[in-house]
Amino acid sequence: MGPLIGGGFISFFTGGPFPGSYVVAFLIGCFFVYMGIVKKWEPLLLVPIGFCMIVVNLFPPLFHAQLYIESPTEGTVTVVNVHPIKGEVLEIEKEQLLLKIREPDGGIVEIKAPTSGELAKEDLLVKVGDQVYPRDQLLKLENVSILQSGAEGTELFSRIFQGGILTEIIPLLIFLGLGALTDFGPLLANPKTLILGAAAQFGVYFVFFMALLCGFDIKEACSIGIIGGADGPTTVYLTAKLAPHLLAATAPAAYSYMAMVPLIQPPVIRALTSKKERAIYMKPQLREVSARERILFPLIAAVVIIWLVPRAAPLIGALMFGNLLRECGVTERLSRTAGEAFIDILTIFLGMAIGGSMTAENFLRPQTVMVFGLGIIAFATATAFGVLIAKVMNLFLKEKINPMIGAAGVSAVPMSARVVQVMGQKANPRNFLLMHAMGPNVAGVIGTMVAAGTFLRFVG
Amino acid sequence: MVDWALATKIAGAGFGIVFLVLIILAMVLCGVSRLIQSLRRGKEGQAQQPRGK
Repeated sequence: MGPLIGGGFISFFTGGPFPGSYVVAFLIGCFFVYMGIVKKWEPLLLVPIGFCMIVVNLFPPLFHAQLYIESPTEGTVTVVNVHPIKGEVLEIEKEQLLLKIREPDGGIVEIKAPTSGELAKEDLLVKVGDQVYPRDQLLKLENVSILQSGAEGTELFSRIFQGGILTEIIPLLIFLGLGALTDFGPLLANPKTLILGAAAQFGVYFVFFMALLCGFDIKEACSIGIIGGADGPTTVYLTAKLAPHLLAATAPAAYSYMAMVPLIQPPVIRALTSKKERAIYMKPQLREVSARERILFPLIAAVVIIWLVPRAAPLIGALMFGNLLRECGVTERLSRTAGEAFIDILTIFLGMAIGGSMTAENFLRPQTVMVFGLGIIAFATATAFGVLIAKVMNLFLKEKINPMIGAAGVSAVPMSARVVQVMGQKANPRNFLLMHAMGPNVAGVIGTMVAAGTFLRFVG
Repeated sequence: MVDWALATKIAGAGFGIVFLVLIILAMVLCGVSRLIQSLRRGKEGQAQQPRGK
């Protein structure tokens, strides 16, 4: 019976950063799955994230990594300061003295633990009196943070996280798929909606400041601010680059708020617009965009944006590549694969990597609560500024636009455009704003990428 | 300790750059769209012109 109900079962209730923490994280995973399945909130992501969160909190070693500590010099091991007993593991603290090496010239080199971890007897690879050379392995620490330099994922979730997220491959390739799925026609028919996509990025910079005031450092603040762009893959990409230790908080915040757009945006829109403004009629028909314009767009957008913001190149390059596959008319197979099977596979991996990283240790921290709080402020301010700039634009436009379409400047494609459509029809049943809102909506995707590029330009 | 000067620069310049880049992109797209339309009109005009003697 021992192995069946042994350590795993007991530590589920007693282990983690505080007693019962795995149970709490497990229940949060269940909540995500419930919201995905029953409420249909971003189910493609919340279901995998929630389920993997459940699994990893039942068995946290699934996110474990190991770290080999190597000798930095040639010499003889003179002191071994750690003595694990066979069959047990020794808890190692960060900066704990592990062993000493005497160099041929008599100098003593102290080897300290670069991170906390666990050491088993068989993982201590040297003993007193052994001769070692540079890069010889001295010992192996288990259960270290995957974010520690040189750590190697050893289990399902840690391997996917290391290979897909820390290398930034998954979020970038997801953009390729998104490019293949995105119709930039409404934006091309009405390029001034790009201004609304830019305006909504105000939320990103506003929350960047708020995060600094809450005590986060600049790189962390950038990763939290970008949640306001309502663009999950950009959030994952930027956080992986600047503050990977926050991924367990920023990624679910970005995706769950994208799902909550129908709850967050309407009160903000209503607060900033009168009934008369919400009823402003826009002709349902947009200008027809030629095939040539559609083909030229990804090329032009890539050139203009990469010239002006080179650090946005990976993001915009992947998005526009996918869009060119869609629009060029001769790569239908590639476009179909990128927009269907390819993006689905990546989404599964993304969900597993993010959900698998959400152990109680990584997720149940005060920082997470603050990130979720700041995320909702980012969404609300992005919505508000989009609406306000649309109202300002109306002061100069002959043909007025419905200011609600400014709210769609937060990307959240197509959720925020749908919100505008529903509210528009309520205010004026003749109105059909969906395609008008899709312009700022896809402009918001580009705006968020440019915002991420500016963050990387300054602190990357 | 937060470097507020850098933070202000990131937010101010960053938001400015986002606006500038998207406005430039909008202008380029408008220009390309007009160019394509005028080229198309030119072609259609040529096609409609009666052939010379």
